[in-house]
Amino acid sequence: MKNFDYYKPDTLKEASELLLKLDKSYIINGGTDVVVRLRNELMEPDALINIKEIKSLHEIIEEEESITVGACVTMNEMAHHKAVIHDFGILVDAVHYAGSGQVRNLATMAGNICNASPLADSATPLLVYDAKVLVYSPNGDREIPITEFFKGVRKIALEKGEIVTGVRINKYKSVKGVFRKFSRRKEVDLSTVCSSVASVDGEIKIAFGSVAPIPLRAYKTEEFLKDKELTDEVIKEASKIARTEVSPIDDIRASKEYRLDMVELSVVRGLEHIRDN
Amino acid sequence: MKYVGKSIDRVDGVKKVTGDLKYVDDLKLSKMLYAAVKRSPHAHALIKNIDVSKALELEGVKAIKTGKDVPQRAGLYLEDKYFMAVDRARYIGEAVAVVAAITQEIAFEAVKLIEVEYEVIPAVTNALDALKADAPLIHPQLEEYYHASIFHPVPGTNISNHYKLRKGNIEKGFEEADFVYEYNFYVPHVQHVPIENHSAIAQMDRDGSLTVWASCQSPYAVRQALSVAFNIPLNKLRVLSPAVGGGFGSKAGTTLEGVIIPLAMELRGHPIKLTFSREDEFVNAFVRQGLHSKFKTGVNKNGKIIAIKNQYVWDGGAFNEYGVNISKAAGFAAVGPYDVEHIWADSYCVYTNHPVGGPYRGFGMSEIHYGIEQNMDIIADKLGIDPVEFRRINAQKEGGRTATDSYITNCGFLECIDNAADAIDFNKVETPSGKYKLRGKGFAGGMKAPSMPTNVASSAIVRLNEDGTVYLMSSAQDIGQGSDTVLIQMAAETLSINPDKFTIKTGDTDHTPYEWQTVASRITYCAGNAVVKACEDAKGQLLDLASIKLGFHKDDLMLEDGYVKAKFYPEKKVAIGDLALGLTMPDGSGVHGPIIGRGSFIPPNTMNFDLETGLGVNPVAFWTYGAQGVDIELDTDTGEIKVLRVSSSFDVGQVVNPILLEGQLEGAIVQSLGTALFEELMLKDGKPVNNSFVDYKIPTADDMPEMIIIPVENPEKTGPYGARGVAEPAMIPTAPAIANAIYSMTGVRIATMPLTPERVKKALKENKETGRTYFGVDSDYEFHIK
Amino acid sequence: MKHKISFILNNEKITHEVESNKTLLSVLREDFDFTGAKEGCGMGECGACTVLVNGQPINSCMMLAVDIEGKEVLTIEGLSRGDVLDDLQISFIENGALQCGYCTPGMIMSAKALLNENPTPTEEDVKHAISGNLCRCTGYQKIVKAIMVVADKNNNQ
Repeated sequence: MKNFDYYKPDTLKEASELLLKLDKSYIINGGTDVVVRLRNELMEPDALINIKEIKSLHEIIEEEESITVGACVTMNEMAHHKAVIHDFGILVDAVHYAGSGQVRNLATMAGNICNASPLADSATPLLVYDAKVLVYSPNGDREIPITEFFKGVRKIALEKGEIVTGVRINKYKSVKGVFRKFSRRKEVDLSTVCSSVASVDGEIKIAFGSVAPIPLRAYKTEEFLKDKELTDEVIKEASKIARTEVSPIDDIRASKEYRLDMVELSVVRGLEHIRDN
Repeated sequence: MKYVGKSIDRVDGVKKVTGDLKYVDDLKLSKMLYAAVKRSPHAHALIKNIDVSKALELEGVKAIKTGKDVPQRAGLYLEDKYFMAVDRARYIGEAVAVVAAITQEIAFEAVKLIEVEYEVIPAVTNALDALKADAPLIHPQLEEYYHASIFHPVPGTNISNHYKLRKGNIEKGFEEADFVYEYNFYVPHVQHVPIENHSAIAQMDRDGSLTVWASCQSPYAVRQALSVAFNIPLNKLRVLSPAVGGGFGSKAGTTLEGVIIPLAMELRGHPIKLTFSREDEFVNAFVRQGLHSKFKTGVNKNGKIIAIKNQYVWDGGAFNEYGVNISKAAGFAAVGPYDVEHIWADSYCVYTNHPVGGPYRGFGMSEIHYGIEQNMDIIADKLGIDPVEFRRINAQKEGGRTATDSYITNCGFLECIDNAADAIDFNKVETPSGKYKLRGKGFAGGMKAPSMPTNVASSAIVRLNEDGTVYLMSSAQDIGQGSDTVLIQMAAETLSINPDKFTIKTGDTDHTPYEWQTVASRITYCAGNAVVKACEDAKGQLLDLASIKLGFHKDDLMLEDGYVKAKFYPEKKVAIGDLALGLTMPDGSGVHGPIIGRGSFIPPNTMNFDLETGLGVNPVAFWTYGAQGVDIELDTDTGEIKVLRVSSSFDVGQVVNPILLEGQLEGAIVQSLGTALFEELMLKDGKPVNNSFVDYKIPTADDMPEMIIIPVENPEKTGPYGARGVAEPAMIPTAPAIANAIYSMTGVRIATMPLTPERVKKALKENKETGRTYFGVDSDYEFHIK
Repeated sequence: MKHKISFILNNEKITHEVESNKTLLSVLREDFDFTGAKEGCGMGECGACTVLVNGQPINSCMMLAVDIEGKEVLTIEGLSRGDVLDDLQISFIENGALQCGYCTPGMIMSAKALLNENPTPTEEDVKHAISGNLCRCTGYQKIVKAIMVVADKNNNQ
């Protein structure tokens, strides 16, 4: 692992200024992706900027309409938070199988989405919740809908000097749904396909990971399901439409064909769950 | 018995639970330097030039060595291995140069600066292709290689060993059979995955003496190989194995030790350390050989197998110094634990441009039984006979013959079959847990012998202390299997001294006595015999002295609880400690001196087989038999399998330590389950594509089934207290039993491991669409060699 | 870039200088000779390097040492008090829950953290809690049992 400079600013402003000032500088948060990438020499930064000294990023703030999870809240802290468990069960389920317990004690949801892996575990629940990514920007804070946050493999909608400060999720009246992860091994594995299928305030929302360059919503399938009763036929047709909305590849974890089958299956089992519970 | 058969705590427990035990990579020695290795990026290439000049200029680099510095070949059975490629690289990852530097980071940086010029030549990345007449030769000089006489390399081909078994009259057998069936199977490369990666340190002093610390299973075998390769006399070469963090065969023989010795020879007085990364471990330690297997079986309608003709083609990788013996072992056990009159078997070990194949827990038996035990199931099904009953009908039994035509005098296989079937209620239909699920059971048997040369030796020394405590010395390595504890239990039993009074010392060729290797499930048996003999020797000396002291004939004396006692007057006794340094007479004179017991052992009566027919009266020390049943659940939509329960019954002869025995059987089940469900070292044109834990998955606690262990104790007459080895055999049946369970639930037969969700789902889907039931290997093969 | 950091290591206050690119694992092993934590993969997949930071198990190979500032680190060496072993260590020995011993320190630290947080876990909780610790020897059955024995003892107290 090459050496680099390391900064621990106390404020977002300082952190952002460092990012702008220093060449080849990156944010490090939980570090579970960054440290492995450093070890494997997939990144060779001149400087890393640790944002964990910024106190406000460690909070989970519950408001009447929403919950905001700070960027430095670890996955385990989030998954054990009462309000999060109460309102965002699909997210908690997804996080429960993200890496190992040891990883979840370091890793954060903000880091997970900023890493922008096509199979990010927390991405599909956030997509069906229509979460908002909160961003500190030198030009003033802004919010990015999660559906517009992912731009490609390891590419996100942040400008230079911008820092994700947290994720805000609306509290819905009723959410029914499931997160599903297909993997070679149940524990501590990467998804070959992951999905969230939910009825959010009566509207069906479906998201997939690991079947395209970015985690994505299946809008056509959602559109098809609008105002329809979930009969076996409707479910079957929806699952076929979902198949056309993704573009998986063959890789060492699974074939394109298997991934397409699991996309279909996710829709079938997800919708059946919504219907039967 | 007082100590044998009891679950005493492992003697190395405290050191391990406190983290106090120092493994090789934990050692920090003064003046230590760190090594890093430049590796070939090509599967097959000629090395034209190596330029180390830039790397040498890097500050902190102390020396660089290349293959030219170690031109001597080495090998256990066939001297075909170079520690570093000399003028030809034979697999991706082969060492071509090595750097020593003052820090690990500098060593890694220096490696990047080494420039190697290659001429890439055609590679062979499939064992069946390697057999083709026009295949590129991986070892063109095979003819010149020294090999043990029992192996048969075929110069001018890629065959490093061809073992033949010719029993009975195969043509007649097929003529007599009512039905003849043919099936193929394939088992890919897997890796051992000890949690400790390989590590070694080498230091040569100015007087030419070399010390090697290695995480190795067999310090004496390492000493021998290095002595030959580097021309260092054995008395100047000390190999220490302080602790081994799991081996499973990967740490048998030598792997990385020879790479750093050239550095140590130049940098006298500096210990040079090389530790593999996990990525290295997957490729540059041994891997399990891949196997293409083919079976033609003739059977009578009443269920008796008459004849089996089979071919095994082993993907041995770039060097087969060790792998040749796996192909031989597979020949000995050609048809598994069944008594078949006519057998014609060919087992070929074949060079490919793949990572080096070598011993892996089971030594070929897991791979061949994946085919054998599915073949049994298929035929049982064709004949309409219950699969367990079909195995009972054909089982090797006392009075029968093994594949090599040896008489069977001692065999608990039938009892194991019954135990394993009963423990999971084999014929009881279980309810699946959900609507997409199927639940079913599978069964398999297995056998294994210690696959070791006929004349390999063990020894032990026992030294008594004046306070009644004891030193036991052996070079059997406790690689986790618990040999330290088991050997102490046998010594304690023989000397009637409480095990907590023993200290065992192992793993130092300068100080602990000879042991061939810790492999082959042979330690309880071989080292155990040596230990018992050493203790009997000490006991003889104690009785002689006590006889003088107590005035009884030694036949009327016994050892009990740390004393020598008169059998009929137990109050007449002398503490063993009081005799430890010799006997003091009433006049103050001394007799005999310190008591040191010595024991040497070679398996009795094992002899070479006939090279033409493969037959032999007693080619192995013993066979260990066993059987397992599995109870699994399958999600038919995803192809995911959950193994719920596994029963395992093996004839161990005599249980020495029940809890350690269970540990061996449970560990073997889960390791085999991993190979069945998800393990495969994927090689694309010779390039490993999943050599990390991110993409090579081994089982976690979540994958663990409920395991039911039922030992059978049918004593091994030549074994210490009747014990025989079991650590490897226990791994054999799980994988085929799982495949058999899938068949029993779905009617779909999958001939290729691993049974990933994707592979299962694909077969189920195709079965639904086309009715196809047998999913053979991707490339069926036909070949013929004179 | 060097950083001066203060932290508590196995109940002892430490001030130490580290480079930015050193992991906690390498500092524990190389600078403090606490070699109980092992490197099995260097990528947070095997758990052999597990230590507790502020009571939580983490992979010390994935944490930069500079981040340990102000925190409390407990390694396997700090678990027992002198020669008085922790209940878990005793239970691992008595229940045959270790073989080669290489995963054992990390495994015990994960189990310790679980029992600290949840003294009476179910068997499923135990399996989930140690699923980030790979063991190739035991097949896990005896490890789960060893942890459950301590949990059952907690349950009866």
